[in-house]
Order: sequence, then structure tokens, then C-alpha cells
Amino acid sequence: MTEKRRSDILILGIETSCDETSAAVLKNGTDLLSHIIASQIATHQKYGGVVPEVASREHILHFREVVGQALKEAGVDFQDLAAVAVTNGPGLVGSLLVGVAGAKALAYAAGIPLIGINHLEGHIYANFLMHPELEFPFLALLVSGGHTHLVYFRGHGDFDVLGHTRDDAAGEAFDKIARALGLGYPGGPQIQKAAEHGDAFAFELPRAMLEPGSLDFSFSGMKSAVLNTMNSTRMKGIELSVPDVAASFQQSVIDVLVRKALLAQQNTGAQTVLLAGGVAANALLRRNLAERLEERGVKLLYPPPMLCTDNGAMIATAGYYHYLDRDFAPLTLNAVPGLGLV
Amino acid sequence: MKFLTIDTTTKVTALALAEAGSVVAEGFLHTRKTHSERLLPMLDQLLTAADWKLKELGFIGVVRGPGSFTGIRIGLATAQGMAQVLNLPLVGVLSLDALAWAGWGRSELIVPLLDARKHEWYTAAYRFDDMTQRPERVLPPQASAPAEWVLRLADMGERILFVGDAVTPYEDYLHQALGDRLVILPEYVRLPRGAYTVQAVWQKWLADPQGERVEPYYIRKSEAEVNWERKFGGKQDD
Ligand SMILES: [Zn+2]
Repeated sequence: MTEKRRSDILILGIETSCDETSAAVLKNGTDLLSHIIASQIATHQKYGGVVPEVASREHILHFREVVGQALKEAGVDFQDLAAVAVTNGPGLVGSLLVGVAGAKALAYAAGIPLIGINHLEGHIYANFLMHPELEFPFLALLVSGGHTHLVYFRGHGDFDVLGHTRDDAAGEAFDKIARALGLGYPGGPQIQKAAEHGDAFAFELPRAMLEPGSLDFSFSGMKSAVLNTMNSTRMKGIELSVPDVAASFQQSVIDVLVRKALLAQQNTGAQTVLLAGGVAANALLRRNLAERLEERGVKLLYPPPMLCTDNGAMIATAGYYHYLDRDFAPLTLNAVPGLGLV
Repeated sequence: MKFLTIDTTTKVTALALAEAGSVVAEGFLHTRKTHSERLLPMLDQLLTAADWKLKELGFIGVVRGPGSFTGIRIGLATAQGMAQVLNLPLVGVLSLDALAWAGWGRSELIVPLLDARKHEWYTAAYRFDDMTQRPERVLPPQASAPAEWVLRLADMGERILFVGDAVTPYEDYLHQALGDRLVILPEYVRLPRGAYTVQAVWQKWLADPQGERVEPYYIRKSEAEVNWERKFGGKQDD
């Protein structure tokens, strides 16, 4: 049993936007009492990627157990909670709806406030869990399977999106190349592993920077370049080195991410940069970006790998700050698959 | 024993508060808004209007399918979430079993038709039993193509009463196929209603007053599963 006082603020965070059913109980914004993640990776592996209807079916099968386990491990009852925070977008609509409907019912039955959290904000707020002393303003580079965003934060809920991807997200590009290389799903970790023994400069690949000064991203051209290189190598009868392709592609994506982040840092003068999202777990990205920022005396923060992928702890963390602002959602809260950062 | 029932398996959001087999309050919404937006606000209004508190409930009944996949999950997630907090038993019933109560006391074969998309119906057949005073299943739940199903029903040589949300779009078709053997009730009787769910749920509770782990009942596998099995073989049933 965890010691709790009446003044403690306990938030139950729920995340079901894609292929993880997750719930966490967070005390006072920093003390993670429990964190349960039921991953569906094994279920989707045979399809080579996340199948929305299959994901929704998995969520409803595991939702109750995941929530129950989170409360049990935290040693708390629903009556001890201050609020329920849930991802209501962006994501797969069927998956989001399981979490939203479930969270609404939990909050309503417990008679406590409901908080709707933007999944992207959740990813960024995973950093607050590790670094509650984190000060504004800061720059966040959010890189995941569905999103690539550069966001400048002045305060809680006060931010500007400086740039985002115009086509594929970085993680999506990793997934597609991983599939083409026969590395399987999810692509990011597979590419990183294959790249370990590869030559990052074996293939010359473009670094799409778009028009001068742009902070937007475009990865589809880079992805096509890799696929073309793979084809022409095979046509010439040369055996393709999977590690070399993986390493070259990984390096090209990371170079673009690092250059754009540096440009945004220079433009904003932010003295802290955060990494967030599934691709933030990429070791090379962390190392390359940290080195370049260090030259400028700028701090780089990122969450541990477990908090980079989709999880309930980051939703509980974002929920905590919304709770302090009394920013609650009505019972009409709906899932918004295309919810943006505004 | 007070209970609540939830049915979001069709485009109708059907809620009811009941005490034993009697309906105390009923909610019926057949609008464009999503279940997700209107379900809990409607429940909140019903409870307030009936002057009931959630903590007075003895159990929660929920329709677990077949019907809209998303609708099934919204209803179940909602029922399950409330049951979890309030520590209440759950009772799950089928949409078709609940709809069969629309044919209470009738002598015809009772056939619920629910829109299953892809030009199919979720359906089954029932007969009202004078002894038990309830509709008893004669043909099991299935997803069926209209032509196939109508042929099978016609073979039974009886008058047939159709209920459910797929009756309206197929009314002409049914007329042509079955002629004067067809019986269609007015829409306000044949669409899903909280009152029907209450009957199905209450009967089930009487038979086994414990509750259960309720899982969705889709009838159909997901398209991805079907395609995968077609490609790589694998078990046909679960
Ligand atoms: Zn994510």
C-alpha cells in the first residue's frame, strides 16, 4: 500500500489510441504508482502492421483488466482518484472510442472529473514526469509512427506548432522501409537493430530540407529513394546489404530531424529541447541531437524508452496539469481521430 | 432489484432503467449524433428524471451484439466501466434476442433483421412460447444474405413477423419475396427499445442471478482475419 494523504492528487491516465491498451495511476504529477501496458504488437505482427478493427477488438477485451490492474498495483480505489484522463485523439477512431467510452463511464460512476488529452501533448508531457522541474519555454521534437512535429512551448497549454510532416511521419517511413527489407513490424526498433552493423554512408540518400527556412518535414521522397536504390541494386545482381540500407536510411532521417531541430532552436533561442514519441527511443537520434545541441550549450531531455511509446503514464501526467487548471471535459467528449495540436 | 440496460448496437441509442421486469424510465435516440456523444448525457438525464442514484443499481445489462462493431464496443466499455467502479454484476444479451420481445404474444415466426452491411443481415428466428411466455429461439444467430435467408424462411411455410432496423430498407424486397405471408409491425414497435432489452436481461438474470464476464459478440471476424486465413489457411471456427 502506498501512503496517501487527502491532499494528494491521484490521476488515472488511460491510453488506447493505437495498439497499446494502457493505464497508469500518477500521484501529484511525479509519483508513478502504477503503469500497465498491454501491447498488441504480437497480435498485429502477422498482418505486418496495425489493423484498426483488430486493435479495437483487443482494446475492449483488455480494457477492464488493464484499468483494474493499474488501481490494484497503485493500492488505490476509484474513490481515491481526483480525475480520469484519457486520450481522445489523434489516433484510430475505433481504438480511441474504447478508451473514451470506458473512461467516461469510470469518471461518471466515480463522480469525478473527466479530462480529454491530446495524444501528442501526452507524448511531450512524458518529459514532465521525469523532469517536473522543467522550465518554459522549450522546444519539443515529437517523432512517432503517426507524427513528426516541432512545437515551441511558452507555458502549459500555450504553444505554437513550428513545423510538421507534409507526408509520412518519420516512424511511418521506418515501418515502410523495414517492411521492404523484410525486417518486420514495428519498424523503428528493427531498423535501429539492423543498422548497428551497417555502414551509414554505403548509400547516398537525399536529405529533404524543403524550401529554405522551412521547419516542415517530408520523408516520402527519402523513402522512395531507398526503395529505388534497393531495386536498382538487385537489378544489377548485386547482393543487397540489409544493415547498410537500414543504417543509411536511419542516418538520412536522423540528419533531417537534427537539422530542423537545430534551425528551430536557433530561431526560438530555446535553451531546452525535448524529444518525445516512439522514435525518441532511437539511440542514434538522441546521441546526434545531444552532441549538436551541446555545442550550443542547449540541454536535451528525453523520456526513458518505456515512456516514449504510447502509454497511460504520459496521459496521466498531461492530465495532472489540466487538473490543476480545472480544464475538464463534458460527458459528450468524443474521439477525434484527426485531432491536431492547436 | 433495480438495473440499467444499454443498447448501442444499431443507430438507436436505447437505454432503460428498470425494477424487476418493469420499465421505470426509457431513453430512445435515433438521431445523427454518435453513441459516444449522447450515451452518458442521456443516462445522466434519465437518472435525474427518475430520481435514481447509480448506487441503487443491483446490476447492469448490456447488449453485446451482433450489430455495429463500434457500437458494440461503446456499449460494452460503458457498461463495463460503470460496473467496475460500482462493483456491480454485468449481464450480456444478444441484440436479436432482445428484439424478439417486440413479437410478444404473436403467433407468427418472429425474425429480427439487423443491418450487417455488405448487403447482409444479422438475423435469427424465434417463436413465442405460450407456456414460457417468452420468445424462444428456433434458428441460431447468423450473418446471412437476404436471398438465402428468405428462401430458408419461406420453406418453413409460416407467416413471418419481421422486426429490426433492416426492415425499412428491405420492405419492398420482403413483400415481393413473401407476399401475404409477410407481417410488418410499425417502426416504433420494430426498432430496438430499452424495454425489449429489459425483458431479455431480466429473464437472463432470473435464470442466473450472478452476472458474468461479458464479451462482444460480433458474429463476423474482422476483414483482416478473414483475408489472412484465406491466404494462409488456419482454423475456420474459434
Ligand atoms: Zn503515440
